[in-house]
Order: sequence, then C-alpha cells, then structure tokens
Amino acid sequence: MNAALIQTRALTLAAAGRKLVHALDWQAAVGERWCVIGRNAAGKSTLLRALAGVGDAALHQGGEVCWLGRASRDWPAADAASLRAFLPQQPSDRFPIGVLRLLELSLVQPRHDARALLAALDAMALAERNVLELSGGERQRVALAQCAVQGAPLLLLDEPVAFQDPAHQLQVAQWLATLHQHALVISAHDVNWIARAATHVLALLPDGRCEQGTVATMLDAERLARVYGCAWRAVDGEAGRFWVAQ
Amino acid sequence: MPLTGTRLAWLAGALVAATLAVLVASLLIGSAGWDLELIRTLRAPRVAVAAGVGALLALSGLAMQALLRNPLADPYVLGTSGGAAVGALLALMFGVTMAFGAAAGALAAGGLLVLLARRALACSDDASPRLILAGAMLAAVFGALATLLLTLTPEQRLRGAIFWLVGDLSGADHAGATLAGALLFTLALRARHRAIDRLLLGSEAAHLLGEAVRRLRLELLVGASLAAGLAVASAGAIGFVGLVVPHALRLAGVQRTRDLAWLTPLGGAALLMAADLLSRSVVSPIELPVGAVMALVGAPVFIVFLLRGTR
Repeated sequence: MNAALIQTRALTLAAAGRKLVHALDWQAAVGERWCVIGRNAAGKSTLLRALAGVGDAALHQGGEVCWLGRASRDWPAADAASLRAFLPQQPSDRFPIGVLRLLELSLVQPRHDARALLAALDAMALAERNVLELSGGERQRVALAQCAVQGAPLLLLDEPVAFQDPAHQLQVAQWLATLHQHALVISAHDVNWIARAATHVLALLPDGRCEQGTVATMLDAERLARVYGCAWRAVDGEAGRFWVAQ
Repeated sequence: MPLTGTRLAWLAGALVAATLAVLVASLLIGSAGWDLELIRTLRAPRVAVAAGVGALLALSGLAMQALLRNPLADPYVLGTSGGAAVGALLALMFGVTMAFGAAAGALAAGGLLVLLARRALACSDDASPRLILAGAMLAAVFGALATLLLTLTPEQRLRGAIFWLVGDLSGADHAGATLAGALLFTLALRARHRAIDRLLLGSEAAHLLGEAVRRLRLELLVGASLAAGLAVASAGAIGFVGLVVPHALRLAGVQRTRDLAWLTPLGGAALLMAADLLSRSVVSPIELPVGAVMALVGAPVFIVFLLRGTR
C-alpha cells in the first residue's frame, strides 16, 4: 500500500516557543538519500532525533512519525532496532571498547560483514583500536559503520561528515551512494557535498516552513539564499556545478 | 587494546593463581601459628567471609558502573554502603533482622542516587563528575546518620563504630550467604552480559539497539544494592573494592561484561583477603580494621583515576 519507509504527517516541532518544523508532510522510500539543510539551530538535529524516535517529547508539538505506515511510538524497541539506525552528532564513549567488538554489539540482524564495512569506510586499520583513543574523524567513520552494521534499512545520520577531511568526505559520499537497499536521511552543511551525496533535499526555513524536492530542483541560488540568509552563486566548471556562498 | 583469547586466558589464570595463593597464605599466616584446629574453626570462616564480601563489593561496583555509566562508581563512595549501614543500625534498634535492614537501606540509598542522577542519566552526559559529587554527599549524610544512631544506641547491643563506618572483618559472619550471593550475582550478570555491554555504550545507544533500558537499569540497581547490603550486613561498610577491581581489570584490557562478571568477584575476593591478611599481620597481634586498610589503598587510587579522567 505504502512504499514509504518513513513518513511524517503534519509533524510540528518547537523549542523555546520557536517553531522549528511546522506541519511537515514528507516521506522517504528505499533508494532515496535525503539531505536536511538549514541554518544553525534551524532544527535539523531535532528533526532527525524525532524521525529516529529518540526525540525529546517536550519538543513534539503535533503530528506523527510513521515507520512502514505505523506510528513510530507504537513500535517495540526490539523491532525498531531492525528498522532504523541513528548516528548522533557526538558519540559519548565512557568505557574502553575495541572497534570490532563495538560493531559486533551493534549487530541486530546478522546480515553485514563488519570488516567489509570498515574497509569501505577506510577504517580497517582501526579494527583493533580502542574507541577512546580514536580521533573525531576516525570515531565518526566507525560510528557510520556501526549504524550500517545494525542491518536496518532506514539510516538517520546527523552530520556524518562533520569531522571528515576532504578525501574522507568524498569517500563517505561514495559509500552512501552504494546503499541502494536503504532510505537515508542525512543532515549536512556543505552544499557541494550534498549535491554529490544526496538524491533529495529537505530544507528547513527559519520560520518553520519546509521545502522539499530532488537535488536538481532544490539547489538553486534563490532557495539557498532563503535557507541560509546569504547570497549564492553557481560556478559551472569541467567537474560540474559548484555553489559558492557570497 | 582489547584482549585476545590467549591473553585473556593468561590473565584469568594469573588471577586464579593469585587468589589461591592469597587464600593459602591467609589460612596459614596468623599470630597463633599453624594449629590445624585453629585454622578450621577461626581462620577459615574469616577468610571465607573476606572472600564473599570482597566478591560482593566488587560485583556491586561493576553493576553500579554499568547502571550509572560511570567508571568511578562504587557502593561505598556513592553512599549505598552507608545507606545499608544506617538500615542495619535501625533494624538492630528496632529488633528487625539486620540483613533485611541493610538490604532495605542499600536499596533506598541506591534509589535516591538514581533519582538524583535522573537528569544526567537521561541525557548523553551520564558520566558526569557531578554524579560522583552528589553520591559522595549522599555518603556523607549516611555516615553522619550512622554516627548519630551509634551515639544513641546502648553500646552493648551493637558492634563498634569502626565496624559500621569503615568495615571490619573480626567477628564477621554470614560466610555462606555472602559467597552464595556473589555466585548468584555473577550468574545474573553473565546472563545479561550483552545487554549490559550495550548499556555501557549509552542508554540511548542501547535503546536504539532494542534493549529495554529501564528494566535493565532496575535490575542493576536492585542487584548492586542487595550485594552491597549483604556485604555491609556481614562486614560493615568497606570501601573501594568495587572501584579498584573492575577498573584494574579494564586497565588490563578486559572489556566484556561476560569476562568481567567472573573475574571481578575473583579479584574482589583476592583483594579483600589480602587486605585482611595485611590488616591482621602488620602490627600483629593487634588487628587493624580492614576497611581502613582498603581506604588507605583505595582512596589514592580513586584520586588518580578522577584526576586522570576515565581514559
């Protein structure tokens, strides 16, 4: 009946009296890679957390999030674990644990090969390391592998390339593009990375309104100006179109 | 670096050997020499209590560390043992079974701590040093209450202040109960090892992986409190075993709860037997309270861990 893996119906999120997301109707299906864009504090993380079912209930002002057509709050935790994985912005490691062991603990459906995932994310050399000793970028790539290894078709990734150097940003974008059996929702700031990594864009405007569509339709100078509050210029070169904020 | 199977086997073997060595030394060494009858009737029960109490305290620390997601958690430092001591004293005053009072007191103190930590536990910053400070203040309150109760109680009916406030193994009993309790707790932790390992990643991470976090935390709270209560009922409030043992094992590279669940009680038993041996042989024939010996060793270790951070 419904091909959407995840769907929102009139979802409204607010913090400190400010509407972050107003009456959002949206859905994502397998094979789609959505990027959520917006200014700082526009509500990207709040939205991703709500989509993942770990949002602060106090911020949830109305509407609902549905996974496979069923309200996310009605899903038992164990079933939800095999449907969605969530990458939070910051890991909060307290205890020493080896990377491979971490991936093994994150396995919900034994479908994925942890080592292959690490290799795809240029993290194979970290396999035996303790997570407490990793750099921010290394820890983030391990966290990406952790999300993928869970075996859930819906991946919600909050700023997955925030700590990555350019080479690894590119690598992560290429890896995301190989996840054909997944629906992805990603928050990110780098418009040029988004143009490469995403198929669709969901833009959060400062007044809580949302605009959505394919990357090609969503990335235009006028809209980017509305979203970010600064002027944008497209530069067409041999390697394609690049966006420059002015 | 995580331990490989071989290295873990070596470490476990070394720990077993050390425990046996301490056990034999504890049985043989003493002011009265090698009299077999004396060993059987006096030293063996005391060594068994030391082993049982040490195992319980170490396990209680391990469970509290998972519960509060804080590698510095310990039933003595965070007031659970103090709550047990107050509960036991109240039970003695009102003629209720002492172990029951200690268990109730430990549960109340543990519940209070979790209540205080509720906000910290809900967000990802659940290992904050503030939690340790709040627990330390809780411990101070229970210490003061225990002192007040001791002052108000007719002296003949109670063991001394040292027993309840820092712990003492001379005249301690309930060897069978402490050993059986430690064994049960070990089996329970092993049965839930995967869920506990996931909880160590964070309550949100565990929830995202499908764990029933609230239930697991309740189980850990009850287990840690009962273990501390039983230990206090038989030997008073001995500190730092629950902090030092799991921490040392983690430093040695043991990371999985599956392994920690049985290495921790073993280490706790060895540590407290050794501390007891030390406390009764340093200025023999005078016996020092073992809790004071443990605090002299444990408190500096705690300070080092605290200042160094958890890494």
